[in-house]
Amino acid sequence: MKDSKASCRPEEARDEADGGLNMISRASIHVVAYATAAVAITVLFLGGQLGQWIELAGLSVSRADQIGFLALVVMGLVSCSFGGSRLGVMITGTIAAFIVLTAHQELAMVRYLSLGAVLFAIGIYGMTVSRNAIRMLMSIELMINAANINFVAFAHWVDPLHIRGQLFAIFVLTVAAAEAVVGLAIVLALYRNMSTVNMEKFNLLKW
Amino acid sequence: MESLNLLTALAHVNVEQGFFYVLAAIAIPLAYGVVFDRNVIRSGFLLIGVFATIAGLFFLLQAQFLGLSQILIYGVGITLVIVIALMLTNARQETGMNPALPANVGLASFVSVLVFTTIYLSLRSAEDWPLKNESSLSLPPNIEMIGKHLMTYYALPFEFASILLLAALVGAVMLSKAEPASLANAGDEAEQAVDGTDRV
Repeated sequence: MKDSKASCRPEEARDEADGGLNMISRASIHVVAYATAAVAITVLFLGGQLGQWIELAGLSVSRADQIGFLALVVMGLVSCSFGGSRLGVMITGTIAAFIVLTAHQELAMVRYLSLGAVLFAIGIYGMTVSRNAIRMLMSIELMINAANINFVAFAHWVDPLHIRGQLFAIFVLTVAAAEAVVGLAIVLALYRNMSTVNMEKFNLLKW
Repeated sequence: MESLNLLTALAHVNVEQGFFYVLAAIAIPLAYGVVFDRNVIRSGFLLIGVFATIAGLFFLLQAQFLGLSQILIYGVGITLVIVIALMLTNARQETGMNPALPANVGLASFVSVLVFTTIYLSLRSAEDWPLKNESSLSLPPNIEMIGKHLMTYYALPFEFASILLLAALVGAVMLSKAEPASLANAGDEAEQAVDGTDRV
């Protein structure tokens, strides 16, 4: 039983066999170190210390968020190259970079639009990369929701009297529901014919 | 002195901003989980969390009706359909596999980073937003405005939406209905004969 499982996933199984607990703890230690550094940078940025130091170095204070962002990216790359878990570094790095990039924007609307952009980018990545057709549909739902955040944010700040953005969001919700149901029905029909949901195996339309 | 500085900085952060960052810090890891989790069913359940945090953002933006319908339609309806589809398609078979197609990873991360950078930079440099400041107390209730618009100016799109939903319903039933051959195989022989005459 164990052998058959191992042959299903050769690389991961070998990793676990070689490194075992040691690998896991090493990856998580690097993530914790990176998270601590990211929190430190974010707090320094919010407190204004980062801006003061940058002013001392001869640059303008308005560049503080760019420099904080660059520091986060460089530290993330270093942590990954030392063997930190890539997913953990990416999650903490995205949150810290998101706070650093949006906290000092003068418009509150920009924060919401940026969050929409982040979720949209994650959805694009998932849609392009997913092996499972249903996970691809989930990523599409994520992207639709990111667009909805933008609609509602615009309704709140640009058109507060008539809230037309919310109406558009309702129509988007309707179309998304229809899309999800039809998409999943297509996936089920494909599964019935090919007994898999692996995107690599769906090559009937390939020429 | 420096700690005092920090405290005043924290005091400037208002409640709305604080709630926004809490929700964002929940939504981003959950979205990563949806994309990267090796267990597809777990990522289906994480999707509920993403939708719930987005509903929270809608409440922050004073879109109460939309927040509630987000919970109803996305948090319950769509994720229910997705999880049922996952359970019907033997997702366990691919549980241990890497969720990503390795050939696409480089290009996909490049495209998604490019999309985010483009959107963020254009948001940052934009200055002439047509903002309107209305105090939220003088506004009519959210759901009243939506109802008025749906019944007057947006009545036609509303009807189209209902036709779209009907078409999607019929289409989903047609697509997911078992084919006559497989039905006949599953049934008894007597039933099979009846079925055959019915279908022809």
